Amino acid sequence: MSLAIEIKELYKEYPDAETPALDHLNLEVKEHNITGLLGPNGAGKSTTINILCGLLQASSGHAAILGHNAQTQTAAIRGIIGVVPQQIALFPNLTAQENFDYIGQLYGLSKTSIRKKSNELLERLGLEKHAGKRIGRYSGGMKRRANIIASLLHEPEILILDEPTAGVDVQSRAMILDFLKEYNQRKKTVLYTSHLLEEAERICHDVVIIDSGKFIASGTPKHLIDTTEDCTSLEEVFLYHTGHTVRD
Amino acid sequence: MKKIWATIVKEWTLTRRDVAGIMLLFLMPALLIVVMAMVQDAPFKDYQERSFELLIVDNDNTNITQQIKNGLASSGNFHIIDTIDNRQVSEIQLKNLLQNGDYKVGIVIPKGASAEIVNAANTVANNVTQSNGLPTRTARDSNKIRMYFDPVSKPTFRMSVSFALDKLITVSSTGILVDRFTKMNNTEDSETRSVDFKTIFSSIGIEERMLGEEIVSNSHANSVQHNVPAWAIFGMFFIVIPICSHLIRERQEGSALRIELIPNARKMVALGKILFYTIVCTMQFVVMFCVGLWLLPLLGLPALHLGPNAWVLLVAAISIAIAATSYGYFIGSVFRTANQAMPFGAISVVILSALGGIWVPVDIFSPALQKLAMLSPLYWGLDSINTVTLRNGGVADIAPNVTVLMVFSATLWGISTVKNKKRQISIQ
Repeated sequence: MSLAIEIKELYKEYPDAETPALDHLNLEVKEHNITGLLGPNGAGKSTTINILCGLLQASSGHAAILGHNAQTQTAAIRGIIGVVPQQIALFPNLTAQENFDYIGQLYGLSKTSIRKKSNELLERLGLEKHAGKRIGRYSGGMKRRANIIASLLHEPEILILDEPTAGVDVQSRAMILDFLKEYNQRKKTVLYTSHLLEEAERICHDVVIIDSGKFIASGTPKHLIDTTEDCTSLEEVFLYHTGHTVRD
Repeated sequence: MKKIWATIVKEWTLTRRDVAGIMLLFLMPALLIVVMAMVQDAPFKDYQERSFELLIVDNDNTNITQQIKNGLASSGNFHIIDTIDNRQVSEIQLKNLLQNGDYKVGIVIPKGASAEIVNAANTVANNVTQSNGLPTRTARDSNKIRMYFDPVSKPTFRMSVSFALDKLITVSSTGILVDRFTKMNNTEDSETRSVDFKTIFSSIGIEERMLGEEIVSNSHANSVQHNVPAWAIFGMFFIVIPICSHLIRERQEGSALRIELIPNARKMVALGKILFYTIVCTMQFVVMFCVGLWLLPLLGLPALHLGPNAWVLLVAAISIAIAATSYGYFIGSVFRTANQAMPFGAISVVILSALGGIWVPVDIFSPALQKLAMLSPLYWGLDSINTVTLRNGGVADIAPNVTVLMVFSATLWGISTVKNKKRQISIQ
């Protein structure tokens, strides 16, 4: 299986920070897999995603998506990835459909293909009756689902999600997770971060655990559980590697 | 182009949903124009435009004094009052009325004032012709026309009224003198040299004309002519408030992150925003000028005079709109929060407008302040409009103003671009 994302010796130091955000991180994400990027607060998950999206420049090292250098080929990379940030990156005073029309046009899509794609996604994520409603009037779960739709209009090869189920109800979470599995079955790669380890155990083919900007462990959830001493769940594996100290 | 158009459509959708924002952009400046034009109407009118009540006590009551009174009345600047309650005004009554502030100015024509004018004309005629054909006597100071003013009246007003009266007395004296010369000339050598002095003097006078074209002036820098363009520009620059609030809100809400994640979208989105707000500003200008053209005359004010090259105003309006929009984009880019940006935006526009001659014309500033005014983009905008409406200017005449506004806009654009590049929009 070829690699969708390849990170080698990635190092990132923020000005005025005592320790580096990423400390020679190495990481691989296989194509057509769902990979969970796990780590406690301050582990370097968001920094990694920001560098992959070209939003942040690394101090040194290499990051590539489908062979494109994340630091120099930003436009090419942004065309093949879909990013679902934790923030609701939509215009609250526009309706969901107006948001999708605008975002789709910025991707250079035709109105017909935007409508076709958005209708399909709205229906799949249970928002078809609310397409004409302003995003600002959506519930938290609806906003998260709309946020995902906006990132998928251009059919990206790789979907990167930053805690897509944070703060949503059980039903919305189940719908989002089922949808991610479905999306992956269409030979798409999914990289996703979460603090909910049960969730990661349920849907991820692979997980990568990082802490303090360093690679800690990776493999299938089952492999990690089986190979870690006295662990019966991914959460126990996670705590085994990252410790019980509360992070800021 | 598609991305720019999509942004314009999106901005329009957001704007039309913000009723308060539209009110701020269109109704407030329109209201400001109406109020300011009405409030400043009187101060803007000089003695030539405004009709003052002029008390006259005519103790001489001759054809000459009647001519002077008729001259004052026909100038349109004075409404002559010589009777109150069907009784002739007396000198004492006149003084009391002025002292109480009931009237601003009064004239007392003493008995013998006309005779003094005739005597002066006769003396000059005798001296010039070296004859004693006309009766003369020694001049008497007691026959001088006396002027009285309300003690609080301004020196410029006193001078203006004094000049007007002086002119009429001079006209009367000259008329008598010319008459004397004509008569004396015809009597002495009527068969050989008949000279019509009245015809000779008739070509001497003043006629006000507009610069640029040979048409008689009919427009003055009145309240409407100043306030409509001035407050229209002020309103246009208030676009900084919605622009910077939108920009900051988009950064804070996360929609700016979405734009950032779309390949090659940021510049097109910025361009679309600038274009949209430039269109809005230009529409503001058109609406404000419509107020000046059609609404203000309904309120008893003069209609706005556009000048013979009205279409050039659109060039001026677009360049002002670009400058205003760029200023808003600059503030929205430089400041982090709306709490910083909006008060700064509003107060800076007020300062730039005061400096740029929006509140009162730059002409009455001190020379140093007049130079400082040139730092305000609003000055260049207002000057370009005055050039078109009052100086009959064309595109070439406003080209320097447009250039300054474009340089101003480009500079702010450059700073905003650098600032936005430096600002990290990232996934938190």
